[in-house]
Amino acid sequence: MKTLVIISHPSVDESGSQQFLIQALSDRSLEQVTLHPLEKTYPDGVIDVKHEQELLKSHDRIIFQFPFYWYSSPPLLKHWQDEVLTEHFAFGYRGNKLEGKELGLVLSIGLAEKEYQTGGQEGYSISELTKPFQAVARKTGMTYIKPLSIFQYAYMSEEERMGLLIRYQQYLTLKKPDSLKPREEWVIAALKETATETLGTDHSDFIIEQVIEHIEDNRMELDELRMHIDNYHE
Amino acid sequence: MDEQEWVIRELDQLFDSSQDYKQKALLKAAADLIREQETRKQQLQGELDGTLWSPGNWGN
Repeated sequence: MKTLVIISHPSVDESGSQQFLIQALSDRSLEQVTLHPLEKTYPDGVIDVKHEQELLKSHDRIIFQFPFYWYSSPPLLKHWQDEVLTEHFAFGYRGNKLEGKELGLVLSIGLAEKEYQTGGQEGYSISELTKPFQAVARKTGMTYIKPLSIFQYAYMSEEERMGLLIRYQQYLTLKKPDSLKPREEWVIAALKETATETLGTDHSDFIIEQVIEHIEDNRMELDELRMHIDNYHE
Repeated sequence: MDEQEWVIRELDQLFDSSQDYKQKALLKAAADLIREQETRKQQLQGELDGTLWSPGNWGN
């Protein structure tokens, strides 16, 4: 699966959260992911439509990554949609080039999650406020996947940021980023590749091996339990 | 100490000694994942127990 991350931010180099996300990607993730910062690619705002459409065609999951300004994206991403998602390409007669792909959002949001509900300060949920993106996915035949919403990055603890670093990579690269099993496989693959020199102890190889084995044993137990339960329901 | 406690304690120690931010994040993710697996195991075990005790299965 190839993922295209279309980043829209008026000053991406100065954004702590955007820089964190860009730096978060490991070499392994980058084999699957293309980062595409719009404002840096088109500082004059003139979009190369053909190039953008080719990029879309060569990826399976399309991500719009942006700060959630006034319940929408920064202007260049809207302009990009106007220019690139044309009739006969994205919709209309023979406009099926995006069919079967996935569309996801990575949103950085300035307020707390609890404000995005009826009675909260913002009054509406993220699901309600992102309806135009869901409609784009629907019209173009893409499957809209749950967004990765990052609330108040500036207030996140170091531990929370580390969690985000992992979640973000899984969001971009896993077919089912929420499911336990693919996340187990992801962690095992990452552990196998992690550089033992930076681990700081001499028996770290052994520990990493034990950790992987433990995760695999747990998986076997989980599958067995599931099998027993399914047997009773047959 | 059971195996899980040992594995998580070792992961915590590696987390402390690692000098690489992304690696630290991975070690923490591994420990979180193991805890999550444990919770899932308990849930499934509970579901299995519940299924075994369900009157619907008493006739089998």
